[in-house]
Amino acid sequence: MEEISLRAQELFHIGGFYITNAILLTLVAGFVLIVFSVVIRSKVKIIPGKLQGTVEMGLESLLGLMESVLGSMEKAEKYLPLVATIFIFILVSNLLGIFPGVGSLTFYNGSEHVPLFRSPASDLNFTLAFAVISVIVTNIIGMTSVGVFKHLGKYLNFKNPITFFIGILEIISEIAKIISLTFRLFGNVFAGEVLLTIIFFLAPYFIPLPFLFLEIFVGLIQAFIFAMITLVSISLHTAEHEH
Amino acid sequence: MNELLEQLGINWSLFLWQAINFFVILIVLTFFVYKPLIKVIKERSQKIKEGLEKAEQAGIRLKEVDNIAKGKIKEAEAESINIIKNTEEKSKILERELQKKNEEKQVQLQKELQDQLKKQLEENKKLVLSQAGELVKKAIIKTVELKPEAIDDALIKKAVSEINEV
Repeated sequence: MEEISLRAQELFHIGGFYITNAILLTLVAGFVLIVFSVVIRSKVKIIPGKLQGTVEMGLESLLGLMESVLGSMEKAEKYLPLVATIFIFILVSNLLGIFPGVGSLTFYNGSEHVPLFRSPASDLNFTLAFAVISVIVTNIIGMTSVGVFKHLGKYLNFKNPITFFIGILEIISEIAKIISLTFRLFGNVFAGEVLLTIIFFLAPYFIPLPFLFLEIFVGLIQAFIFAMITLVSISLHTAEHEH
Repeated sequence: MNELLEQLGINWSLFLWQAINFFVILIVLTFFVYKPLIKVIKERSQKIKEGLEKAEQAGIRLKEVDNIAKGKIKEAEAESINIIKNTEEKSKILERELQKKNEEKQVQLQKELQDQLKKQLEENKKLVLSQAGELVKKAIIKTVELKPEAIDDALIKKAVSEINEV
């Protein structure tokens, strides 16, 4: 059985940066999404084809969901890029993570044989980056929509000890949000990877199939949860508070 | 702390890589997928809205045209009834005039015929009168066979006057 590693393995160096197997699959996911975007852009017509129709259906469903959370279609359209990109990028990364060859194709990095590809969300750098981006961007959105001082007043409020304490709690909750978002996605995907590795080792034929379907489902659900938490966070930060 | 981060595999350069990847994908998807698709969806919704409004207007216009057509048909019916009535009246007047003219013509023809007959009668009478003298003369000669020259003129005159009286 191949070694289970908590951290992504190093493949090679480019200048001062080193590329890990998780970064490589992230780049593949990015490439797939860029190709998909270019294909979609070239086929956009007023009378949609099958591909455009399917993508439009997905976008309209997401817009409808966002409208119900944010309260207006205008807001939904404004924040769609962030929420949809989080969802699509995590989903594509998770799905690519269970593709044949991921984990089984190896690469010699000069000292040992390591898997060439690793599911991006099973690397904490990926999930931490998404969590930090989600929290920072939602706070910036909050500042632009309700005003910088009003928004920061949620965290630093010296009116009385109670509001000051609430502000401290708000700061802790934002940090906790980063940690929870990071480890929820990482934990689910990493656990799935470990499960699949063990199942493939114990019974390589037919038995892993239900677990693969389970991983597809988990990948979809985790992407959705991440996007929804970001959406709810946007909704909370853009709402006018009455104190 | 650094040891924990090291154990978990958190590396700031890798973190940066992932963040840059995300922003690149965010920009590409925004400009190549979301914006064009939302624009097209809005355009389509606008066109559907316009189409529905036009269809509604067309329906209203159709109803109006239908009402106008019904009114016109009613007018035409009334007009046609009027025309038929007028024509009937005119035809009756014309018939009466023609009848009158016919009768007048008949009377005229009768008169002309009577005149012609009268003329013919006159002519016949004149002819009979012109030949009657000779006939009477011959008859008297045959009857008397005596000096016809002496008596013929007196007899002729007498016969003629008698015929005239008739």
